[in-house]
Amino acid sequence: MIAPRTIRSLKRGLSRNALAKVGIAIVVVVLFVAIFAPFVAPDRPGTQNLNESRQPPIGFEKATTQEVPVKENGSVVFEDGQIVTENRTVYENSSWDHPLGTDGNGRDILSRLIYGARVSLLVGFFGTGLAMLVGVTVGLTAGYYRGKVDDVLMRSADVMLAFPSIVLAIALIGVLQDALEQSIPDPFVQTGVAPAFRSALGLPTGMPESTTLPGTIIVVVALVNWVWFARVARGEALSLREESYVKAARALGANDASIMFRHVLPNAITPILVLGTIQIAAIILLESALSFLGFSSANISWGFDIALGRQYQSTAWWISAMPGLAIVITVIGLNLVGDWLRDALDPGIEGEGGV
Amino acid sequence: MSHAGHRDDLLRVEDLTTRFYTEEGQVNAVESVSFDVRDNEILGIVGESGSGKSVTALSAIDLVDSPGKITGGEVWLRDAELAGEFRGDKPEAVDGDFVDLRQLPTGVRRALRGPKFSMIFQDPMSSFNPSLTVGEQIAEAVEVQRRASANPRSTRSRTQGYGLGKLLVDSVVPGRKYTSDESHERAIELLDQVGIPDPVERADEYPHQFSGGMLQRAMVAQALAGEPDVLFADEPTTALDVTIQAQILDLLRDIQQEQGMSVVLITHDLGVIARMCDRVGVMYAGEVVERGSLEAVFDDPTHPYTQGLLGSIPDVDDPAPRLEPIEGNVPNLLDSEMPDRCYFADRCPKAMEACLEHPEERAVEGDRRHTARCVLADDEYDPERALDESQFEGGDGE
Repeated sequence: MIAPRTIRSLKRGLSRNALAKVGIAIVVVVLFVAIFAPFVAPDRPGTQNLNESRQPPIGFEKATTQEVPVKENGSVVFEDGQIVTENRTVYENSSWDHPLGTDGNGRDILSRLIYGARVSLLVGFFGTGLAMLVGVTVGLTAGYYRGKVDDVLMRSADVMLAFPSIVLAIALIGVLQDALEQSIPDPFVQTGVAPAFRSALGLPTGMPESTTLPGTIIVVVALVNWVWFARVARGEALSLREESYVKAARALGANDASIMFRHVLPNAITPILVLGTIQIAAIILLESALSFLGFSSANISWGFDIALGRQYQSTAWWISAMPGLAIVITVIGLNLVGDWLRDALDPGIEGEGGV
Repeated sequence: MSHAGHRDDLLRVEDLTTRFYTEEGQVNAVESVSFDVRDNEILGIVGESGSGKSVTALSAIDLVDSPGKITGGEVWLRDAELAGEFRGDKPEAVDGDFVDLRQLPTGVRRALRGPKFSMIFQDPMSSFNPSLTVGEQIAEAVEVQRRASANPRSTRSRTQGYGLGKLLVDSVVPGRKYTSDESHERAIELLDQVGIPDPVERADEYPHQFSGGMLQRAMVAQALAGEPDVLFADEPTTALDVTIQAQILDLLRDIQQEQGMSVVLITHDLGVIARMCDRVGVMYAGEVVERGSLEAVFDDPTHPYTQGLLGSIPDVDDPAPRLEPIEGNVPNLLDSEMPDRCYFADRCPKAMEACLEHPEERAVEGDRRHTARCVLADDEYDPERALDESQFEGGDGE
């Protein structure tokens, strides 16, 4: 299905486009980290340690002078009806145990980001996959049959678009509740590979034994975003169905399903894949927004962590900022990859041609 | 069944009418067209661009797509088996060994494409799917027929053994094959048969690795996959250069004789018709204006349009330096702009008063199988009754 010509133009696009390499690097790192979370995370993402709460990231330690009450024998001292205070230096220490600091409950932010990547990517990839499956099927059918089929399918797609996506998503979550939540056991922890690895390196053990698969969120983001795939697939199908090879296949007796899947879909796959990479980013953003608003059952997630840090905005900005950065970087990386695919696979750049 | 058929008739198309419902209005692309195809012959259909040649062929094999619609006519195919099958259910669709395909269910009509009819198209470069190998696409045509014949009773047979899921996976996942090894071997045989060197290696190449002529050969191979009785060739050589054109025409003739099939050759090239065809139909403005044997039509053209077409070919042996073009242009076939008179009247050098009435197809005097849609078929041109400009009142869209 992937012609050598396609691979050549992908390579050429990569050598011309330094940003594409950055994008690929980001995506590869995020994927690696998410898959091998129990090996890379420096600490347990869920374990609270109130003694170490709100530690700043490395490089942001500072000393501040604060006015504190003077205490004698454990009680404050009054003088002329006023509490006696003194100026003391208070240290906000950072530590290499928590390179990105800790949150309000003393949990390691880096570890939470690493585990949060799992949720974001699961939703991003499965959500996009599901949206693609639904959208492409609808779009191909609409574009191939045209007429009434097209009208019914695409008008219902337009209706979906008329809703603000967050509102639609919240309504759908209300309907589905958490019926589709799944907990997937972490194979690395279950088989004992990760604990052995961690204790050999002297890292804290007791990593979570399973990851939440937020099925409801996946279904919801797919139901919100399939429309884009439907539109692209319909447009492609409308133009490809007029190709002579589609007519030739019909003249040879092929049926509609095989024409759609064998002659229309493979030639429409490029714009669909490009849209897919960009949609992963959009869906990760949507998932973060939903977690931020508290609609996800995942209790480790970038959006959820931003929400956790909201109450500490003035004193411990990193609790919100770090997961926010993680989202920004991942989304930029995916968009760079999407741009590269689009530029490299755009038929305008390399024409059809004989040898 | 109106007129007496020839006993060798394989396909009789009668009064086939196709309309396109476009935004500008109704387009009468094919207007009451009749022709017949006999066993083992090459029938030529010739006409200018936009005269409805291609749509006629597509209508005959029921491939007209919205916004087009076949609005009338009959397509009688000689098929004793099919006739027997429908004699009980649909007696009006059966006449002797002939069945009227227009009255059969869609599934049956589709099943005829491949084993009965096949078609090759003008531009070989765009008639192959660029994302599949040539061999794979020919093998697919074989596979479709194999599955159909394995289960002839079922209209679902074309997906037999292929649920939608398996179809999707086999189409999209690289390395999965939709076609069987037997079909692939047959595809290589077919490529060999149409004169492609190294068919085994060439089968694994993609369309862009083929030259235009080779690809046209491959398309002939693909069309042969179902061993069709009638092969429609829609301008098969127009996109090719002249030396390759000759090769492809030779190939078509060889294959036609080898397989004993009939070919309907659609072209605007009178030279191709003269070289290849046994009989010929001339189309103008969606109508067959004249048809008959090649000799009858070319040596003794009756319709002034045919005369004009033949008069516009340069002749090496004739020293006359000027060609005689036909004045004016082909009408655009919009229903609202089509006159009630003969469509050719306003370009016709021999238009007469009788031409203000739309002519029926009538036999040319002295030859029952030579017909023309012209008053001159059984009348002489008489300058006394000539039509002058002033008599074209309204309705001609100028």
